[in-house]
Amino acid sequence: MSNAWMPLLDLAEPDVPLFMQRDGLIGRGQFAGAVEALAKRLPQQPYALNLCESRYAFSMVLCALALRGQTGLLPSSGAAGMMDQLAQAYPGAVVLSETAGATTFTVDSRGGRVSLGRLPPVDSDAAVAIAFTSGSTGQPQPQSKTWRALHHVGAVLSRRLLAGLERCSIVATVPAQHMYGLEASIMLPLAGGHCVWSGRPAFPDDMRAALLAMPAPRVLVTTPIHVRALLLSGTRLPELACLISATAPLPPEMAQQAEQVFSAPVLEVYGCSEAGTVATRRTVAGDLWQPLDGIRVETRDSLSLVHGMHLAGPVPLQDVLEIEGNDFRLLGRASDMLKVAGKRASLADLTRQLLSIPGVVDGVVFQPETGDDMLQRPAALVVAPHLSESEILGALGRLIDPVFLPRPLRKIEGLPRNTVGKLPRSTLQRLLADA
Amino acid sequence: MRDSERELATLLIAALNLEGKQIDEIDPSAPLFGDAGSGWGLDSIDALEIALAIQQKYGVELRAEDEATRQAFASLTALVDYVAQRRAGA
Repeated sequence: MSNAWMPLLDLAEPDVPLFMQRDGLIGRGQFAGAVEALAKRLPQQPYALNLCESRYAFSMVLCALALRGQTGLLPSSGAAGMMDQLAQAYPGAVVLSETAGATTFTVDSRGGRVSLGRLPPVDSDAAVAIAFTSGSTGQPQPQSKTWRALHHVGAVLSRRLLAGLERCSIVATVPAQHMYGLEASIMLPLAGGHCVWSGRPAFPDDMRAALLAMPAPRVLVTTPIHVRALLLSGTRLPELACLISATAPLPPEMAQQAEQVFSAPVLEVYGCSEAGTVATRRTVAGDLWQPLDGIRVETRDSLSLVHGMHLAGPVPLQDVLEIEGNDFRLLGRASDMLKVAGKRASLADLTRQLLSIPGVVDGVVFQPETGDDMLQRPAALVVAPHLSESEILGALGRLIDPVFLPRPLRKIEGLPRNTVGKLPRSTLQRLLADA
Repeated sequence: MRDSERELATLLIAALNLEGKQIDEIDPSAPLFGDAGSGWGLDSIDALEIALAIQQKYGVELRAEDEATRQAFASLTALVDYVAQRRAGA
């Protein structure tokens, strides 16, 4: 690839706000100054873990690393096991966070004014960030992102989802370390000229307060779990320009209800960590997805592939697609991926972690069949004669993100493996009910 | 365990599908979040469900960004006291 350089940030209008914090606005110029100051102070290591929780600090780190030619690692959780794996895979990586710690480099917004327009360009083809997915082998897979690719998706998402709108106020309930959060809550405001709420409102009343603190046109970037909570709580939000949902399919009835209650279009984003955003749709308009500009999907035999000019090569998807003209339908998941509130894990990986616990003889993490798909957690059956269920959960909680802790986790005498060594889900389901 | 703690524990068990949890074995001072070995082992999605359940049953709106909510989520006892205080003030 060519060694092309591009500006990190459009600073033509330095006073246009980019972040909103509780104590006020941060303009694009002020942000650039903070980035420049942070880039000067960063320790010289090829890799750094970006654990910052506020979008302002996260973005400062993302951009400062890009300026320095270093790569930010974006772990999907701060769970001890994930951190241990990253420390092994990237020896010497610095931990960057807003909270001070013995092994942490503390990020703050100190730093003066930037000499406007003088922020140096960045190498558009260098890996500025690495996101992590649970690959089919069960091990977290690194996914390198270039500044060119991230910036491209941010700009295209802005044109697609916020067409005709300028200087939107974005409030997001997803973490910036997740690909959807990175593209829709960081790159979209950076590349599209919008302003984003720095915090991550968790409860309906937090979302309302954050949206109220910002001027129209307002946009909520969220997940089906949060949409459900907003609807059930009856929270009255200020006027929205649109509501964007991703990480899991939004039930069409819920989208319909949300459009009525909030008087705004509900737009869904479909993507994956490997390719980023692939397509969008307005849920109530039907089940067809429209690929982003510059993206083409293809099915080859039983494989679905995404092509994009910003992607290094074709990316295979975990889902089965049916193509209709330029658009496509999702026919179902091709594997055992589990997604909870923007976090992903594979059942194979969770089972592997379970089996790594000393005292666990055999076990399986699987997806039980229940009525409510959205809040579905995995269940587990474990053979461990000398451990209690709470001891197993305690040990597992140190290895995996708590979102994926099996519920329920039941001890049994032995697993009913069939003749080919597989565990039929119907049998597991029955054992879970009986245990 | 106080009656009010028993009532809230019942609400949480129903809202979070913790059907394996026995009310009489609950330590009301145990941490709600984090270590599943010594406490409830709940996470951020559970927190959203708890906020929703409390709003629906008691009409009390919680904000995750308030320091008071953070303290209230330390244990069942703290949460019961906080909800009672908010209801009295409402």
